[in-house]
Amino acid sequence: MYEYDYRNNLDYYNYTNNNYNKPMYTKDENPKSLYDPYNGFIRGNMFPNLYNSYKLSKPRDITPNNEKEALLLFVDSIGFAAHDISLYLDIYSDDKDMIDLFNQYRTEANKLMDEYQSKYGPLVINSDATNKIPWSWDDRPWPWEN
Amino acid sequence: MFKYEKKLQYPVNITKKDLKMAKYLSAQYGGPDSELSASLQYMNQRYSMPDEKGKALLTDIATEELGHLEMIATMIYQLTKDATIEDFKNAGMGGNFTIHDGTFFLNDPNGVPFTTAYISTTGDHITDLESDMAAEQRARATYEHLMDLTNDPDVLGPLDFLRQREIVHYQRFKELRNYYLENQIK
Repeated sequence: MYEYDYRNNLDYYNYTNNNYNKPMYTKDENPKSLYDPYNGFIRGNMFPNLYNSYKLSKPRDITPNNEKEALLLFVDSIGFAAHDISLYLDIYSDDKDMIDLFNQYRTEANKLMDEYQSKYGPLVINSDATNKIPWSWDDRPWPWEN
Repeated sequence: MFKYEKKLQYPVNITKKDLKMAKYLSAQYGGPDSELSASLQYMNQRYSMPDEKGKALLTDIATEELGHLEMIATMIYQLTKDATIEDFKNAGMGGNFTIHDGTFFLNDPNGVPFTTAYISTTGDHITDLESDMAAEQRARATYEHLMDLTNDPDVLGPLDFLRQREIVHYQRFKELRNYYLENQIK
């Protein structure tokens, strides 16, 4: 017998759905409360108050095997931080502190992207790293290859 | 227009062959609540969003979902790398081999091909956003089922990341829907 009285139970925000998160519209996000880019990246989420885990007791750490992977981890994580904040800004477009933080990560990500491409070849077709003979855009590895 | 970045959003490095898991993962490649469904649905809905916030959010999330589709394809590719015909037969993928050889296709784990009947657009922005919230919830639930089906840390890491993105996207869609309702934006 299903005994849950959904009509009289107004506490449904505490329902233990794994996707439980902030129920209502709010613009009180504090940039200082966000994860740092690495910790946000390994979680797939820059916002601690939205984070919840499943199955894993802690998010998997990413351990680079060499200098190339270490630099790519920087590119990925700081680019991710900027991206996740940009989705937030699509809605809260007048949040000045978050725009500042976005620009800080965006600038840093662009710098790291340039550094990576000058060392290891182009990731985007309009990179200066394509100015090379022979043509390097088609160099291995493709993203699905390991 | 779109420009390609020759890297994944999150690294995938799977070394252990597992064809059964590859088959299950096709749920998120060509299944009903797949990354492809999500991307196409949001990209198609953005034209009837009532303001700039909606157009921006749907564009950005639709784009990210294509990156997730690439991550799923990468996982399937690496899980089936160097597989033999025996491997395909043992994993219940003999049918896949018959039609597609060793490569994979946009279908669900039961072989049902992808169809745009999986997605919806009503032109009513509240209805569409609530449909998007539901799509994120369904994908999150699917990722949890997929995480239940493996103990390989190289597979769990990317799945955990992708599951978490569903949660963030769900939240943003919900915030946008609430913003439209509270400000009576039509």
